Amino acid sequence: MIRFEAFGKSYDGHVAVRGLTLEVEAGEVVALLGPNGSGKTTCLKAAAGLIHPTSGRVTVDGRSAMEPAARRTISFLPQKVAFPDALTGREVVEFYRRLRGGARGRSDEVLRFASLNGASRRAVSTYSGGMVQRLGLAVAALPDAPVLLLDEPTAALDPEGLSAFYALTERRRGEGKTVLFTSHHLGDVERLATRFAVLVGGALAGVLTAAELSERLAQRGVLRLRLDRLPEGLLAALRPLSPGASIRGDELLLPGPASLRPALLDAVRASGAEVRSLSADEGRLDALYAEMVNARQ
Amino acid sequence: MKGAFLLCARQELLLAVRSRWTQIFAFVFAGLSLAVSASGYALSGGHGIQDFARTSASLVQLVLLLVPLSALLIGVLSLAPERGAAELLFSQPLGRPVILLGQVAGLWAALTAAQAIGFGAAGVVVFSNAGGEGLAGFLVLFAGSSVLTAVFLGIAALLSAGAVGRRRARALALALVVWFIAVVLFDVAALGLASLLRSGTASRVLIVSVLVNPVGALRTGALLALQGTTAFGSASLAFLRFTKGTVGAGLLLGGSLLLWTVVPLALATRRLSRADI
Repeated sequence: MIRFEAFGKSYDGHVAVRGLTLEVEAGEVVALLGPNGSGKTTCLKAAAGLIHPTSGRVTVDGRSAMEPAARRTISFLPQKVAFPDALTGREVVEFYRRLRGGARGRSDEVLRFASLNGASRRAVSTYSGGMVQRLGLAVAALPDAPVLLLDEPTAALDPEGLSAFYALTERRRGEGKTVLFTSHHLGDVERLATRFAVLVGGALAGVLTAAELSERLAQRGVLRLRLDRLPEGLLAALRPLSPGASIRGDELLLPGPASLRPALLDAVRASGAEVRSLSADEGRLDALYAEMVNARQ
Repeated sequence: MKGAFLLCARQELLLAVRSRWTQIFAFVFAGLSLAVSASGYALSGGHGIQDFARTSASLVQLVLLLVPLSALLIGVLSLAPERGAAELLFSQPLGRPVILLGQVAGLWAALTAAQAIGFGAAGVVVFSNAGGEGLAGFLVLFAGSSVLTAVFLGIAALLSAGAVGRRRARALALALVVWFIAVVLFDVAALGLASLLRSGTASRVLIVSVLVNPVGALRTGALLALQGTTAFGSASLAFLRFTKGTVGAGLLLGGSLLLWTVVPLALATRRLSRADI
């Protein structure tokens, strides 16, 4: 649905994205992750037909993203969306509804969805930052476009806006629509994305599916045990199951996936030790993300 | 396509009508137009309201000063919006030229309406006090003012096309430079240059100066329509001698203003289509 083919973009000699090849299939929800300045926004803007590639090409539904016909298939929410202060929220939504040829009642639906129906007749100049972002979300939700492009959609959202954003993305995912979004909030990413692409310094540092991510995170779990005593040979007995098994203070640390934990506990009990307390740390996306970024940098 | 053009035009008209800058321009232009219609005789030692012919002649300078300035500044402010607004607008399934031309059309309608308030107010006062003689010339000046608005909106579009979503301050600064050159510096420079040259070459410089500067073209055209050659300066006189009559002069001046309307807009659409937003 969205295809970056050796896509590169430079601004005044500064390379923002270099040779990115990435395909987002119909029905996927893909999160673009990366530190500031890693080229995420440039990628989204290229898919929205706002910037010309310096090298390679970007297509949406088989057409160059620069063609107006390709933009018929997308709906884009910019990072810092802005609207003319002199217009009311309803006037903004009505303008974009007419541009996209939406049904007359659609404006009311999206204003309600963005919890702005009470403020829709107020000038945008009176809106808070969160309300402006919700208005942007309402405009993005207007067309029933097959592709939704969202650039840090949750950055300035209040709780009502967050709830609307999750509802929109989950509904689009349920309808088999394609969503490509950037976010620094890894909670959003874990909740919504079916695939994750990490960009560092304008280049792709890695791509993981949700299943691959779960597996990688599971590998990073740690079982923490406090025992009444530490029988001799226990560590040696546990290491075939958890090679990183170690003792820190009075805790026995057993890294490994959650699926191995029953076997580890059986091995501990078999040694004659009694478990006094038990806790588990699960692998976290932020740690994995930081590791991928650091490895690339 | 036509629907999208009209939508963009209507939206820009609505925004321009609500813009404080347009309102200030309409207010100032109307106030000065009324003042001109009432004070022309006072300046020459008389009193009372002027007739249309004298009011029009007095209004020419006001039009040449204020209309380019308002079109350039309001044009750049409107056509180079904030980045987030521009990104959302230009990600819609429309060609960039359609959006730009629609916006320019809306701005032109708003600024022409603002001028109509000034011309209308002055016209009502003059008509009720001095009758309708010279009304045709007054209307020609209004039409010329509207054409000058289109010319400088086109130039504003060209300046803004590379500044959409960024560098708006630079585009505004450039707009002021363009205004200063077109309205103030150009004539002075042309006359200064002509004074240094031999008669034949000097005439050619002055003729060209009338045609290549839209402000000069409108000034010459308006004065020709209003007062014949009696109010002409040296550049306009040289130009009229060259065209050998008012018909030829009118055609050349009309052609110059038409080119000044079309060419900057064409360049602006081309520049915008190639720009990164």
